Amino acid sequence: MRPQVIFHSFGYLTEAAGVTIAISFAGIALGFLIGAAVCIGRLSGRRWLETLGGVYISVFRGVPLLVQLLFIYYFLATLGLDVPALVAAIGGLGFASGAYQAEILRGALNAIPSGQSEAAVALGYSPLDRWRLILLPQALRLAIPPLINEFILLLKASSLVSVVGIAELTRVSMNIAAMTYRPLEAYVGGGLFYLAINLALAGAGALAERHFGSAR
Amino acid sequence: MIFEGNRRFSRRSVLKASLAMGGALAAPRLAFADDTLAEIKKKGEMVVATEMQFPPFDISDNGVYKGVDRELIDAVAKEMGVKVSYLDLPWTSVLPGLEAKKFDLCIAPVTITKERMKRYAFSVPIADATAALMKRADDKSINKPEDIGGKTIGGQKGTAQLAQIKAYADGKGLKIDVKEYVDNNQSYADLAAGRIDASVNSLPNLAYAAAQRPDTFAVVLPPFGQPTYFSWVGRLDDKTLLDAVNAALVKLEGDGTMAKIQKTWFGQTTDLPKTVPEPTI
Repeated sequence: MRPQVIFHSFGYLTEAAGVTIAISFAGIALGFLIGAAVCIGRLSGRRWLETLGGVYISVFRGVPLLVQLLFIYYFLATLGLDVPALVAAIGGLGFASGAYQAEILRGALNAIPSGQSEAAVALGYSPLDRWRLILLPQALRLAIPPLINEFILLLKASSLVSVVGIAELTRVSMNIAAMTYRPLEAYVGGGLFYLAINLALAGAGALAERHFGSAR
Repeated sequence: MIFEGNRRFSRRSVLKASLAMGGALAAPRLAFADDTLAEIKKKGEMVVATEMQFPPFDISDNGVYKGVDRELIDAVAKEMGVKVSYLDLPWTSVLPGLEAKKFDLCIAPVTITKERMKRYAFSVPIADATAALMKRADDKSINKPEDIGGKTIGGQKGTAQLAQIKAYADGKGLKIDVKEYVDNNQSYADLAAGRIDASVNSLPNLAYAAAQRPDTFAVVLPPFGQPTYFSWVGRLDDKTLLDAVNAALVKLEGDGTMAKIQKTWFGQTTDLPKTVPEPTI
């Protein structure tokens, strides 16, 4: 073990960690928008929207992320649509994460007893106020732990975007291992960066839970 | 190969599909080019790809692309009067990417074989690719290639060098265990860890690895393989581009640029064929 390898490559690893964070957060944000839309569709009470949402979730949760990325980047190109690497990476992460986040949100909304909604109607709350004041705050609180779980999983899964040529953290660790012929040091270095990022994410989750109050 | 099916699509259905999908994503670039060389000249830029984990040919040194291929392609592009941009892709994505027209030329060193000649257009050789073995520096039991009987040999899956060590052992009547790895760096790591007894790769790669870690690795001389060469690879229908690249490469050999690059990275110079050689394997 020669820690100098990690020190020497510290700047390179930091830069790669930045790429991993940027791509993951863009993927998480896109996934949240898609997830919210799909969740609304699934709970809308309209048959065709429910089916559409179900099909979306089945496809993007059922096909490995690696295959989705290869499809977006390489297969669409053979059909004449040249998707840039960054768009393919963020899109791939976002589409897949959207399927998981939709189910997390649906689960959280379903966990609120239906009596609350009925009581709100009986007390004369408008539909907007019912969602804004009663349903969403509680659902969000319930969704925080599984959402943080999903964000951490996504951040680690973002190592797959190297197949479209993006130099993220795992890829750069491999580059360092290849250049120095010292794989152990390179991967320990990369692993420490992942750990630091995910601890920060978990910490942010704990803060958010405290802010919104515990869900009991 | 995953993308083998793409020939099935007619030009019209391709156009229709791309138009339909073009609406879905903002500003798509249609990947049609009648002549890649003309396209490169027009843009003033050639896009090349390799895996930057193949020292001394392709190295990413703290994010800066270095190595034999980098210096050669820069010189070639200068001859052609264009700029170069480099893509770092995992090896398994490089050839599919070439077929999907994600870039113009693959500058990863590819060993010329009969099988590959049918599918890709090769440049004139850029380096020697003759297969050799590397052992642990303190291993006294292997001193020449014939000593590998009963040993475990590691190498990168699907490479010409791995195929050659199997053929070599068969020909000599030696029994060896072969372990296949996703890439050579894992084979080197297992060699250092003592899980295998030798790694097979091209002589230039091994000589560089042994020079970087002389306390750990040593090359087994002489190389055991048939003389073979590394070339760059283009699409079969990009003959004009390959012709231009070849002309530049031959010129670089004539004016001493190639020898200078070889001296930097291999410590010695080697004469290379001026035409694409008939593959021996």
